[in-house]
Amino acid sequence: METNGNWGIVGHEWAVALLRRAVARGTISHAYLLTGPPGVGKTTLARALAAALLCQGEGEPPCGACRACRLVAGGNHPDLHVVASERVGASLKIDQVRELQRQLALTPNEGRWRVAILRRFEEATTSAANALLKTLEEPPPYVVLAVLASDADRLLPTIVSRCQQVPLRPLPVAVVQQALIERWHAEPEQAELLAHLSGGRLGWAVRTLNDRTALRRRAQRLADLDHLLNISIIERFRYAERLARDPVATQETLDLWIGWWRDVMLVAAETDAPLTNVDRESALRDYAHRFGVERSAAVVEALRSAAERLKRNANPRLTLEVLMLDLPRP
Amino acid sequence: MKVSCLQENLAKGLSIIGRAVSPRSTLPVLGNVLLATDAGRLKLSATNLEIGINCWIGAKVEDEGAITVPARTFIDLVNALPPERVDMELIVRTQTLNLRAGRSEANIKGIDAQEFPIVPVPEGEGGIPVEPDVLRTAISQVTFAAATDESRPILTGVLAKFEDAQLTLAAADGFRLSVRTVSLPQSVSDPFNIIIPARALVELGRISGEQKEPIVIIITPTRNQVLFQLTDVVLVSQLIDGNFPDYRQIIPRDYTTHTVVDTAAFLKACKTALIFARDAAHITRLHIKPGTELAPGSMLVSATSAETGDDVSELDASIEGDEIEIAFNVKYLIDVLSVVGTPQVALDTTTPSSPGVIRPVGDLNFTHVIMPMHLGR
Repeated sequence: METNGNWGIVGHEWAVALLRRAVARGTISHAYLLTGPPGVGKTTLARALAAALLCQGEGEPPCGACRACRLVAGGNHPDLHVVASERVGASLKIDQVRELQRQLALTPNEGRWRVAILRRFEEATTSAANALLKTLEEPPPYVVLAVLASDADRLLPTIVSRCQQVPLRPLPVAVVQQALIERWHAEPEQAELLAHLSGGRLGWAVRTLNDRTALRRRAQRLADLDHLLNISIIERFRYAERLARDPVATQETLDLWIGWWRDVMLVAAETDAPLTNVDRESALRDYAHRFGVERSAAVVEALRSAAERLKRNANPRLTLEVLMLDLPRP
Repeated sequence: MKVSCLQENLAKGLSIIGRAVSPRSTLPVLGNVLLATDAGRLKLSATNLEIGINCWIGAKVEDEGAITVPARTFIDLVNALPPERVDMELIVRTQTLNLRAGRSEANIKGIDAQEFPIVPVPEGEGGIPVEPDVLRTAISQVTFAAATDESRPILTGVLAKFEDAQLTLAAADGFRLSVRTVSLPQSVSDPFNIIIPARALVELGRISGEQKEPIVIIITPTRNQVLFQLTDVVLVSQLIDGNFPDYRQIIPRDYTTHTVVDTAAFLKACKTALIFARDAAHITRLHIKPGTELAPGSMLVSATSAETGDDVSELDASIEGDEIEIAFNVKYLIDVLSVVGTPQVALDTTTPSSPGVIRPVGDLNFTHVIMPMHLGR
């Protein structure tokens, strides 16, 4: 971890400043709620907070060089507990919260604090969330909790009200682009494309940079979209059935298509707003010409409501079938 | 690291630390054991972040160093080796441990020792010595009463109260309470309380079986850990934070019936009652009848199951006070009668709905309180 003035984090300066002040003054809250879209930097920030609390080095923590900082970076610090559902889309279970509480009841092993990071807490079952309330209300004096979620509205209000909220916003595209080039040594062209596609989520951009198949998947899904517009409803339903089997792919596809149709709408409306899919301007122009502002706006709306319904646990296949009916027909 | 030792010593050391390994932890390194050279000996360590154990074994150290290796693989391998000298060498570049014994050779892939949590060792003098036999008995009399349900973490621990020249251990799970005092050879300067996970004390009881020298109890300066120093072994336990409930309020101060029975006979009657009681929420009735001028007092131990049947055992008892009928969970009775350690045991009761107190006759250092069950009629 680099030790620049921002805990080695790209962007989120105000959030880092807030936590740094709290660490320096010893006014650490017992629980923070970090919110923001996936890949925006919540876990990175929570880990930096853990390192700052557990650091044993000289000077302002985290020093990045002491044993504690290295263990935190390697995910091996005995006083740092990271809890998450098994995979994206699964639920965080009450047993996981109970096990965490058992560990939190024990005094710290090496440092002065025990830090728990609860990732994607919107995936916690109601009973798991309720079980955590007890710890949020009366945590042992050495415990700091970092609850991470995409959106505070998706948590129980009783959880939200017991945490200090730190909402993280997407980073400016230029910041993501620069970070990709300087820190992750991306090619400038690739960095520009990923920065635009990421929607300000550096974590997503870095993951995509390291995942060689990601850009191929994107090309395939845009080709799928093109194909869907030219086939019959029955064939579209067949596609929906296939896609619905994989929740992660469904989510990814919907996000991608929303970005795409938004671009189509912007091009059709002849605005100067920055585009996401910067590498495919001619295709966007072609779509804009074919569908115009109003029809593309309607598609964006249809995609958005499909994504929203899926988050609320609607039947994936039915939701996608409804979407297929809403897509423009040949 | 280059070190040689005897297979028997290595196998024995691993059996001592093996129980502290946590194979299914979120930290992969906790599934490993640490091997480190330490002042001409080989130190073995394992920890599950609640309990950590260090064990030193005699070895010939040629090169200093340290490595962690997967516990399961290493223990199975060492147990399979012939009982002779084992030569171990760390290949630093690949973090691989090369092991030779007799005509066998093996290589185990390790994880850097720096990744392993620190399992503290005693520093300097100090600490509170306790006789191992006394401590082991106390542990066996107290730990079974601690809660196993994690919903109240504090009750999964044992309160250890150091005051003057006395150590008091207490554990409770909401249905029963065990309190045992142990006298210390010297007074502690400042009285203090800590809560030790019951699991750690059970483990201490297990590994201290052959201990002859006093066990030294040491609290780390940060008050985060307690160390139990044995000969060549140190067990470290994290502590549980919080306030233990005031157990003294739970112990009834007086009684209306005082019953003394033979411990072994009572235990046998309870074990018989369990055969039927296990189908009936473990309810076992004790009917205590004081003696008259003609007949001695007696206690009837009975259990009834709607499905399987019923039984009753009669015991001779010396009884002061009123006749009473009271029901207890028979498993709790068996737990405590198995550890009282005296030939005779006293049961003090007041009403069928107030707690009963069990004490060994002739030993003032142990008190056990059990909540009664509903008589159910």
